[in-house]
Amino acid sequence: MISSQLLKIRSRLTEQVHIAPLSLFRVLFGLMMFASVIRFWQKGWIDELYVKPEFFFKYYGFEWVQVPGETGVYLLFALVAVSAFFLMLGLFYKFSAIAFFLSFTYTELLDKTNYLNHYYFVSIIALLMIFLPAGNYFSLDVRLGLTKKITHVQRWLIGVIQLQLGFVYFFAGLAKLNYDWLINAQPLRIWLQPHTDLPVIGFLMDKVWIAYFFSWFGAIYDLTIPFFLLNKRTRPYAYIAVIGFHVLTAILFPIGMFPYVMIISTLIFFSEEFHLKVITGIKYALNFFKKKEQEEQRVVKRYKPAFKKILLFFFVSHFIIQVIFPLRFLMYPGNLFWTEQGFRFSWRVMLMEKAGKAFFYVHDPVTNQSGEVMMNNYLTPNQEKMMATQPDMILQYAQFLKKKYEQTGLQNPKITVESYVTLNGKGSQLFINKYVDLTKIHDSFTNKWWILPLNEN
Amino acid sequence: MKKKISIYICLASFALLFSQCDKKKEEEVTPESSFDKSGMLANIGDNLIIPAYADFKISVDSLKLVTDAFISAPTASSLDDLQASFFRCYSQFQWVSTYEFGPGETEFLRNSFNVFPCDTAEMNGKIAAGNTNFSTVADIDVKGFPALDFLLYGYHLNDAAILSLFTTDPNAGNRKSYLNAIVTELKSKTDIVNAGWSATGGNYISTFKNSTGSDVGSSIGLLVNQLNFDLEILKNARIGIPLGKRSLGVALPEKSEAFYSGLSLELALQHVNNIENIYLGRSRSNNDGLGFDDYLTHINARYGSGSLNEAIKSKLSSAKIKLAAIPGPLSNAVINNASVVDAAYLELQQLVILLKVDMTSALGVSITYVDNDGD
Repeated sequence: MISSQLLKIRSRLTEQVHIAPLSLFRVLFGLMMFASVIRFWQKGWIDELYVKPEFFFKYYGFEWVQVPGETGVYLLFALVAVSAFFLMLGLFYKFSAIAFFLSFTYTELLDKTNYLNHYYFVSIIALLMIFLPAGNYFSLDVRLGLTKKITHVQRWLIGVIQLQLGFVYFFAGLAKLNYDWLINAQPLRIWLQPHTDLPVIGFLMDKVWIAYFFSWFGAIYDLTIPFFLLNKRTRPYAYIAVIGFHVLTAILFPIGMFPYVMIISTLIFFSEEFHLKVITGIKYALNFFKKKEQEEQRVVKRYKPAFKKILLFFFVSHFIIQVIFPLRFLMYPGNLFWTEQGFRFSWRVMLMEKAGKAFFYVHDPVTNQSGEVMMNNYLTPNQEKMMATQPDMILQYAQFLKKKYEQTGLQNPKITVESYVTLNGKGSQLFINKYVDLTKIHDSFTNKWWILPLNEN
Repeated sequence: MKKKISIYICLASFALLFSQCDKKKEEEVTPESSFDKSGMLANIGDNLIIPAYADFKISVDSLKLVTDAFISAPTASSLDDLQASFFRCYSQFQWVSTYEFGPGETEFLRNSFNVFPCDTAEMNGKIAAGNTNFSTVADIDVKGFPALDFLLYGYHLNDAAILSLFTTDPNAGNRKSYLNAIVTELKSKTDIVNAGWSATGGNYISTFKNSTGSDVGSSIGLLVNQLNFDLEILKNARIGIPLGKRSLGVALPEKSEAFYSGLSLELALQHVNNIENIYLGRSRSNNDGLGFDDYLTHINARYGSGSLNEAIKSKLSSAKIKLAAIPGPLSNAVINNASVVDAAYLELQQLVILLKVDMTSALGVSITYVDNDGD
């Protein structure tokens, strides 16, 4: 019984299907990424986030990543834009996929301050794209004869993108299953009430029941939407829900491109026929591929990966990591939202209202005198704000301050922090043990014992 | 089938969650209607900001007249008048310094009028050279009130010695021109900002009242951000730095605001009074309208087991008491009564936490000066 089910699944996954969903996904993904970079550039954020700051917060293990100077940063973003554009065109696909993955990921590694789940999502998708034959159909490569055309792939190769999207939703949903979200309707009660001036729905925004409704709807939506999108019968309704949900979040929250990225990306759940129709429509509009149109109907060209075992091994290990990584927080004691140990790279999107203020103190061990550190000397207001609630950033900044003070001739300064943080409107409280000399602490994956426990009141 | 199973799984996990939640929460009442944000903005705009700028303008206009009189006839009595007018003007500035958005931001009022300590060496050099041009960014510390403070009080100088600098000193003429240039800039910028806010001028008051969102760039967003920025200036520049908080405990009295006239504490008290008024939506004639206190109460913001509004109000009043307890002038107190100053500093620090962390978080206002994506 079970084995026959498995066989059915297996045959469904290995069934040959048209490659159209993959190639259209490539076009749309490239287009969205290109538009995102242009938007980022045009808003002046390259300057604001990567030129102005004097200090950048590095990711653990990626301390070697450096901001390559003003011209360098702009060139880097130009590379991201160009490679995204080439991805869309399907020109030099393998190279542009690799270039996009590397350049985009490098920009994200420049400063931890700017971490967003959707940037992580983009990096992951870009990585997967490198190993997918998304440039072998409806691409300039094929048109120019740079690569051979493929019309059919085994279904699981499209499933890779679908599964990754499913993971994003499902883990985002799992993360919402917590006391504050479901029982206190926090942080949505805080986040919705400022929107009473919205047209039409504004009057609802400070009603407590609407915060509960949104909280529960959001959790159920995230947990179930991948399944409803997979099912042919429910798919159209599910997609309407996708549009409604993400448009609403776009109106209510400052989350940039993320809603649109998700709305466009989830199109990949639709059938091959749907994608073929879209592609035909685009071809018509471009009046470009017209002359090869007839032969396409007849010739079936299957994808035969050169190293199928390696490919399979890569994808399987990728998804195993994708399961383990969001759950790594279970190894740490304390409240995850408070300590943020194992918080990033886990699809915890719009989950908590956290704000804080950190005061750093420097102590001279010889004279026993101490003073407060002038924060705005090295950090932008945005960096200061982001750091105040994230222990690993506080630690990194303390180590940086140590170096700065040593340059002024103060040997072996002791650096402590007095930081107050509020989580989901609980009232600010001391976050880090204010007596701990942070210069003596080394960041690692072990438990950060110097974070004080959250007092839940 | 698949759908059913997933629904069952969801229901089961929710049921499991509920079974773990035996905490009793106090009943919370849904407010009958939305908080009147435009009412709060109208109150703060019409009853606090507009009158504060009007009062400030009156004092600056008068300062200009008194300065003209002093320049044409520098005597002990006209110096007295000028010093008194300077203090009135500097005091009135404390009631507008928070509003560094709209016209105030366009004119860089805070940076043009009150960057202290002033660079006295640079000032003396400019006076000797007869240079009254200070329009570049590098000149922010040779003009405005701190420069007037130095010109009119000097360092360890009595009034007769000050007067002689404007009469018998070889640079007396240049010094008078310099004085005139500072006051002229004060007046022209104040006039521009006043006109910018005025309903009959730039009408920023209307923009202010009609932007009722809470996002970056909305009136509430701007006001909350500037309130916090200004409060941190009070905590850091006015009190902390003279106290030696930034110099490993070594007091730096010469860094205090109004160091030469010794008026720092009076100014600081007015400043904290203004912050309290903005928070309460209270005018200087004590009319208490809609303010952030009402807003926080309306949304039932908590602080520990009590209300956030009560916590902020009590911190405001204790900060005022601790500031008032410092024996003036501040430049002496940071050396002779450091522990009293330190007590006031700690109150201000806790006020910063309540306003910058708790209040902004409860109101959903973002502490940032640039728009950015989040998730």
